[in-house]
Amino acid sequence: MAGKIIADTLEHSTAGSIATNYVVDGSAKSWVNFNGTGTIASRDSLNVSGLVDNAVGDYTCTYTSSMGNSDYVNSSVAMCEDANARGPFALGVRIDGTGVPTTHTTTATRYEYLYGASASSDGGTQDAPHLYIIVHGDLA
Amino acid sequence: MSEIKVDTLTGKTTANDITVTVGATATMSLEQGLAKAWTSINQSTPAIIQSLNTASITDSGVGVIDPNFTNNMNAVGWCSIASLRNTGNYVHATILTDTTSKCRAQSLINANTGEDSVDIGVANYGDLA
Repeated sequence: MAGKIIADTLEHSTAGSIATNYVVDGSAKSWVNFNGTGTIASRDSLNVSGLVDNAVGDYTCTYTSSMGNSDYVNSSVAMCEDANARGPFALGVRIDGTGVPTTHTTTATRYEYLYGASASSDGGTQDAPHLYIIVHGDLA
Repeated sequence: MSEIKVDTLTGKTTANDITVTVGATATMSLEQGLAKAWTSINQSTPAIIQSLNTASITDSGVGVIDPNFTNNMNAVGWCSIASLRNTGNYVHATILTDTTSKCRAQSLINANTGEDSVDIGVANYGDLA
């Protein structure tokens, strides 16, 4: 049987101490590195049960263990591999026309990868091969 | 209030597997949820502002910086995040390459042109070697 320790503080002999709520609250509750081109696939992940390819540059990530509420924080970035150099791009939570997230629930988040506008392109969604997402918050 | 004074936490069954209660009932791996490296860098100098598990940085071009890990990641495929602060330009951060020993990040302005930023931050999640 594995042991269990209940504690409020962890103290190192020389490197200081930390309240355990910082360990719990500060730990990422989910992260994923995935290929968003072709048949999308995770390279490595934590607490991710599935990835859905909704459309070009449009993905939904579902969680194995649900978040405790829908106020969690999503951080995301994409590797720069745009041979067309079409300006600034962003991977973020997909929103509708009023700025409300399309899907940001306790069980899933929908993301969108957008490239910037340029003289030769007006911007839009695009698939990308290296997409990174990290989630912080409380699990249920 | 309870307090544990300890220098090292090691899993009993598996060294890097310690379960933490992170919700009302939900549990997860302590090791998997922790950032394994993070680095805040002034690219203009360039210099490390603050860091964890970062041995050094390499200036690999305008806007391009490599935080080199002290303890390497176990394999490529780990997850990273980057953001930055810059003055006077619309900028965004990206990851260029990830290897087990470093994470190459870049600060970009319009039309994907590299530019050094006063503070670019990179955090890395995954398993150490």
